[in-house]
Amino acid sequence: MTNPKIFLKGTQPYELFDSIKMPINKTFSIKPADIEKKWLVIDAEGLVLGRLASLVASYLRGKHKPTFTPHMDMGDNVIIVNAEKIELTGKKREDKTYYWHTGYPGGIKSRKAIDILEGKFPERVVMKAVKRMLPGGPLSRQQLTNLRVYSGSDHPHEAQNPESVDIKNMNKKNIKRN
Amino acid sequence: MSRVRPGPVTRARHKKVIKAAKGHYGARSRTFRSAAQSVDKALQYATRDRRVKKRTFRSLWIQRINAAVRALDPTCTYSKFMNGILKAEIEVDRKILAELAISEPEAFKKIFEIAQSRSA
Repeated sequence: MTNPKIFLKGTQPYELFDSIKMPINKTFSIKPADIEKKWLVIDAEGLVLGRLASLVASYLRGKHKPTFTPHMDMGDNVIIVNAEKIELTGKKREDKTYYWHTGYPGGIKSRKAIDILEGKFPERVVMKAVKRMLPGGPLSRQQLTNLRVYSGSDHPHEAQNPESVDIKNMNKKNIKRN
Repeated sequence: MSRVRPGPVTRARHKKVIKAAKGHYGARSRTFRSAAQSVDKALQYATRDRRVKKRTFRSLWIQRINAAVRALDPTCTYSKFMNGILKAEIEVDRKILAELAISEPEAFKKIFEIAQSRSA
C-alpha cells in the first residue's frame, strides 16, 4: 500500500502531505510512559488571582498540550512564588469570604481574604483558588499535588530547572488596572 | 397437589440475566430480581452512551485542536482556526486535525498557516 495522503479540497490547490504513516482509526490516548511533566515557575506578584488560577488549573490538567487525555495525570508541575503579592480586583481583598463548617450546630466559620493574606499562610489564597478551579475528584486531587505555592521569591525546586512562565504579558487583564 | 419444580426455560432465562449482570455490585449480580432490573438499566445506558460517545470524542478532539492552535499562536483560538479552515475550504475533519496535531505537527502547522492566511 502506498502512503495514504491527506487531500485538502477546495478552489486552491494545496500541497499534499505524504508523511502520514497509517490510516487513523483510533483516537490517541497517552500512555503513562510517554507522559512528560515539565516544571513551570510563575511569579505571582501583581497578578490577578482568578486569572492566574484558571491558567494554572489548565497547566495542571494538561489542557495546553495537544496530547491532552482527560483521565490521565499528564499536566505540568507548577511552582508559584510571591503568592502573598497576589492582587484581588474591586473590593474583594476586604470582602471575599472563605467559609467552612465545623459540623457542630451553628458551626459556620469564616475568614476574609485580607486576614489570610496578612496571616501566617498567605499562599493558601492561591492554593484555594486553583483547587476550586479544578473539576474535583481523585484525579484532580492528584493533580493538585503537582502545584507548589510559596510566599516569598524562593522555592526549593531549583534542581528541577523550572521554566519561567510570563503570565503578565500574556494578556493585559492579567495585571490589576489602577 | 404435587409440587411444581422450576422448569428449564425459567432456569435458562435466569441464568442468562445473571450472566449479563456479572460485575454488578452486591445482590445486583447474584439475585435474579435485582439483576434483572440492573441489566435492564445497564442496557439502556449502553444504548444511550453509544450515541453520547460520538459527542464525547468530538469534544476531546476540539480540546486537543484548541491546545495545538494556542501553542502555535497564543492569540489564536479554536474558533478562529476553524473559521479559517472553513474559509480555506479545507475538508479535513476534527478527528484527523487532532491526530495530526499529535503525530504530524508539521502537517498541522501547514494547515494552520493556510487557515490563518484565509481567516482575515
